[in-house]
Amino acid sequence: MLRRAVLQTFRQGLAQSFFKRNAVSLSETTVTHQPIETSDEADEKSVSKQKPGDESGNTVVVAPPEFRFMYPEFLPDPAMERRNRLKEKLERIDMLQRRSVVEIPEFYTGSVMAVTVADANSPNKFARFVGICIQRGGSGLRAWFILRNVVDKQGVEILYEMYCPLIQKIEVLRLERRLDESLLYLRDALPEYSTFPLDMEPERRLNNSVVPINPLKVKLRPRPWLERWERQNLQGVEDLNLPQRFYDKAEKVAKPWEKYDLMLQYRKTIPAEEQEKIFADVHSQLQQQEFKRKIRRRRGTD
Amino acid sequence: MSTLGLLRTLFNPKIVTPNAIQLQSLNRSPFLVGLFFNHEQVRTMSRVKRRTTHPPYWHVLKNNQRQDEKISSDNLRFVREVIQDKYKNKSPIKGSDLDIEKKEWDPKTKRSGVIARNIGVQHMWEKDGKKVVCTVLHVLDNHVIRYVPPEEYAKSIIGAKVFRNRKPLGCLVVGAEAANPDRFTRQYCSLFNEVGLLPKKRLARFIVTPNAVLPPCTPLTAGHFVVGQAVDVYGKTIDYGFQGVVKRWGFKGGPASHGATKFHRRGGTIGTGRDKARVWPGQKMPGHMGSERRFCRGLKIVRINMKYNVIYVKGTVPGPTNSIVQIFDTVLPRRKFTEAPPHPTYFPPEDGTLPQEDIWDSSLHVFGSPSISV
Repeated sequence: MLRRAVLQTFRQGLAQSFFKRNAVSLSETTVTHQPIETSDEADEKSVSKQKPGDESGNTVVVAPPEFRFMYPEFLPDPAMERRNRLKEKLERIDMLQRRSVVEIPEFYTGSVMAVTVADANSPNKFARFVGICIQRGGSGLRAWFILRNVVDKQGVEILYEMYCPLIQKIEVLRLERRLDESLLYLRDALPEYSTFPLDMEPERRLNNSVVPINPLKVKLRPRPWLERWERQNLQGVEDLNLPQRFYDKAEKVAKPWEKYDLMLQYRKTIPAEEQEKIFADVHSQLQQQEFKRKIRRRRGTD
Repeated sequence: MSTLGLLRTLFNPKIVTPNAIQLQSLNRSPFLVGLFFNHEQVRTMSRVKRRTTHPPYWHVLKNNQRQDEKISSDNLRFVREVIQDKYKNKSPIKGSDLDIEKKEWDPKTKRSGVIARNIGVQHMWEKDGKKVVCTVLHVLDNHVIRYVPPEEYAKSIIGAKVFRNRKPLGCLVVGAEAANPDRFTRQYCSLFNEVGLLPKKRLARFIVTPNAVLPPCTPLTAGHFVVGQAVDVYGKTIDYGFQGVVKRWGFKGGPASHGATKFHRRGGTIGTGRDKARVWPGQKMPGHMGSERRFCRGLKIVRINMKYNVIYVKGTVPGPTNSIVQIFDTVLPRRKFTEAPPHPTYFPPEDGTLPQEDIWDSSLHVFGSPSISV
């Protein structure tokens, strides 16, 4: 009974966060702050989520539902033909091992990050790159993200594999989210939207518990573009000012029934029960690592 | 015989054997200017049947054909008790219990192989930061079922073909993935009666030299292999079904536009009009692609996890994820063993000490170790 109640709270939390995210993407005007708890709040929340007991009398630890957005690479690729529970378990063990050595912080598309990699061709053997995360993907040890910056008027994008052992340090200089999940349109936007100083300092936030959503609307350069942005329902882009025939064609080509297609959503995601198991498995280890890091930071040995 | 044929035999006296068409050289005679030999194909295997939907005729019927019987729950419980009684757990075999004399390893020994499942692909990194694609192979619950000595094996159908011109070797039958005897026929279960094991879903034959023989019921685990050795992996490739000529043979097809009518992914011409005046056997056409026996040779083992019985092999193996493959020591002469491997197989140490859980190759970067600085 209690176990079912726990599962229900997890699923409710998932549903709420799903709807929150959907609300964000569907709104047209400026958006209010949608609270997505960071790892700090998540830790406190997780402690409170330990239910007194289920049928067997053991405490049931449930990871907070926000883990799905904070650590999306722990979820495997949903394609059923290539799934194997044992392999996913072994991969998760390896991922946690790597995370115990390097801190891979929570970040989202739209966060400004700095990555230091070991590079044989650099003068001091380490190369540091600062950029805005425009896309992230992959699952397991193959997880990657792309950082974009404009250096000497030249747009530069670098794809980093999160678990590559050449990476020495990943810092999040500005933790925020944007109105879209993928910021590939920055390639066709004016360069000032992708420019970040290479010596940028990490920004400290006043309110640590909420990841702010930056409601910035980006101005695009005049056409030709790399993709047909008018067909992609972008929220973070200013009015494209195209002739009406573009929007007519976009409507013809659009698939408005996809948002009602439950089976499509089901096939693209891992079911809630499995997510719960995966994150419960991973949660305690991540908590321990976070705790150790906090102690190290307080001592000042970082 | 036609005039053309006569002229051809006069000027090109090479004998055409039924098995292989030899490459014809350019003819320089003024009489045969118009003749060109366009087909330079070797069609030795074109008539051989590469795959069937049925097992060989000497196989015993495996899966139970019965319909759903309405058994009462009491009877079902009784059946389960009978199965449990019959297949009670045996104590694990220790190395000292082997009743055959311990034979020495020599470089010409052929050890047994192992049946495993390809559970996916994982990316790992070497010590210089280079990424390496590794296939994860899960060694299932292998047990030796029976040994067929060389003289007897050479008389069997397959053995006679394999050892036609060489000294015969023995054959070890290994089974993997124990299953409920309910789903199999009585004849299939009787194959395991001598050994007293639960019937296995999968059986495989491994050619072994007599000094690498294992007694029936011996378990084979991931420890059978050594990190850093080269293995060959046999599997059946991904079944693509009926495929067109572009995917199956790599044809270029036709132009996508510029007025091409109904010619985008077709084969085009299938022969000339003149020589032979027919379609030659082995002409590449659409058809069934995949589900073929293939060996990937010389793959290096980079990591072994003894706790979960998992082997990480550098490279990819034939077959889709979650398919069964067979792993055995490589036949490539330069990558064979120089030192003795666990012979005839690996047995956990008898003094109860647990083996090292995760063994890595020296070239790989271990995930818990500090980041690489070049």
